[in-house]
Amino acid sequence: MIEVRGLRKSFAARGAEIRAVDDVSFVARDGEITGLLGPNGAGKTTTLRMLYTLMKPDDGRVLVDGLDPCEQPGEVRRRLGVLPDARGVYKRLTARENIAYFGRLHGIDDAVIESRMASLVAALGMQDFIDRRTEGFSQGQRTKTAIARALVHDPRNVLLDEPTNGLDVMTTRSLRQFLRQLRAEGRCVLFSSHIMQEVAALCDRIVVIARGRVVAQGTPDELRRQTGHQNLEDAFVQVIGSEEGLFA
Amino acid sequence: MSAWWTVLRKELLDAFRDRRMVIVALVVMPLAVPLILAGMSSVGSKRQEEKREGTLELPVIGAGHASNLVGWLGTNDVRVVAPPADPDSAVRRQEYEVIVRIDARFGEDWRAGRPARVELIFDSSRPLQSGTTIARVRGLLAAYDRQVGTLRLIARGVHPAVAQPLQVADRDVATPESRFDLAQQMLPYLMLLLAFIGGMQLAIDATAGERERQSLEPLLATPVSREAIISGKILATATFTLLSLLVTLVMYRVAFALVPAERMDTSLAVPLDALARLLLVVLPVVLLGATLLTALAAFARSHREAQGYLPLLIFLPMLPTMYLMVAPVKTQAWMLAVPFLGQNQLILRILRNEPISAVEWATNLGAGFVVFAIVWWLAAKLYHREHLAASG
Repeated sequence: MIEVRGLRKSFAARGAEIRAVDDVSFVARDGEITGLLGPNGAGKTTTLRMLYTLMKPDDGRVLVDGLDPCEQPGEVRRRLGVLPDARGVYKRLTARENIAYFGRLHGIDDAVIESRMASLVAALGMQDFIDRRTEGFSQGQRTKTAIARALVHDPRNVLLDEPTNGLDVMTTRSLRQFLRQLRAEGRCVLFSSHIMQEVAALCDRIVVIARGRVVAQGTPDELRRQTGHQNLEDAFVQVIGSEEGLFA
Repeated sequence: MSAWWTVLRKELLDAFRDRRMVIVALVVMPLAVPLILAGMSSVGSKRQEEKREGTLELPVIGAGHASNLVGWLGTNDVRVVAPPADPDSAVRRQEYEVIVRIDARFGEDWRAGRPARVELIFDSSRPLQSGTTIARVRGLLAAYDRQVGTLRLIARGVHPAVAQPLQVADRDVATPESRFDLAQQMLPYLMLLLAFIGGMQLAIDATAGERERQSLEPLLATPVSREAIISGKILATATFTLLSLLVTLVMYRVAFALVPAERMDTSLAVPLDALARLLLVVLPVVLLGATLLTALAAFARSHREAQGYLPLLIFLPMLPTMYLMVAPVKTQAWMLAVPFLGQNQLILRILRNEPISAVEWATNLGAGFVVFAIVWWLAAKLYHREHLAASG
């Protein structure tokens, strides 16, 4: 479970202060898929980075399973599986070595890493390329390696920043199936996307972010009710205030 | 298993799979450095030998004014040749290293018993090239001067010793190890340079490269502390550098074993136990270099930018060598504590086979590790900066 309350973060850029995240609050529950939806530059990545302790919030609070990342960064990172926007893999190592490296960094025994790897390879369909060096991998193979690497320590909470970016239709479908499996295992899944269809197809709850603020949140049905639009697409356009960047 | 050890092993595995990096660090450098040094030494000593003992071609202006002197030179391995038209510029153009001019009034003065004038034309700004030849001609003229002077004294019934109030004798305390030549003087600098920036490829690849390839952010999202990550990377760089240095030193030994012994009037080979001591001396420099490179790569925004700082780093180990060139001072205790200067001194002393006391070792290594600790701390702080990973 992830709770976010009144999160704020600003950056100084060429003398001007940019408010990337401005009072964001939401809850992502266990056994649910929560989607952060918003146009490019809305503050999704910055919000996620504060969740996985890469950045410190200027104000507000984050709780991961009740723990504050500012006080217990190590323990919070152990409970999180993170697929950041940056998903580079080590090209001179095989996919298996890439994944095992992160398992060891999490302090897991090699035997546990092996069994965990076996189930991830099966679930993500990585049998064909698991022992190949990642140089020359397709975008989909690289993303799968990065996801397996993020989940090798069996985290309760899974954060994914634009997980389907650049993937073809088949890979996207299998990835969605994988996320549903994570939900069925009772994990808390939080992912960001700027693609409305993506969020609509997967999420139990949706948090809509625009210009660093939460402009609406709830289940798809609640969003339809709040806006009075039967069509989710129209509902999103109304709460965001423009169509810009929503349909990729 | 500690996290830094995991990082260290992964970085080394990654590095050893980079064929180009391995070839440069473990084959090209270890071959190039000793071959250049051994080659310089061999060619150098051969040339010096030829200049000292081969037949010297000496242009003499006005040879007809002093046929005795010219004849005497002929019996001392000198072949007198016709002088060039413009002797000054011929010397300046390095056509001849030295030219002798015999004064037109030489014969007249000689017969009158007045000092007869002989002029040496040479260029003192090239002591390395022509120093030996100049000294040889000067020595020959001085010998002739003494010989004739002695004969004149005897002819006048005076004991020659009267004109020699002083007897200057040379007693050179140099040992064969300490009489080493120019090529060997380069060794401390090359060793320090290799120790300092030998791990450059790995360090830049492991930090700036990691960020450029977008794998740093996931790494920083693991529970591993940034100190452990940076330590693993630094130690991987240092291990790789030490390995490269070890191979280089072994190759150096082999290369000097191949130089024909009769070419060397000095013992150039580094004994095996000296190899271990040399590696110990450069260890703090290796760690310091690995840390500085890692910090620099963390500070730079890209691979290219990180490489842009290299000329500055190459300059650092050069400073003590340059300082010692202009002020070749006696080793003082405080110098051993100065990074690079201290190591330079100790490397020289190990090569010269001079004893090094425990206090001197402690001063040098202690200071080296303190500087390393400070730079490590700064690098770790740099690694904590928020925009290190979050640059996208």
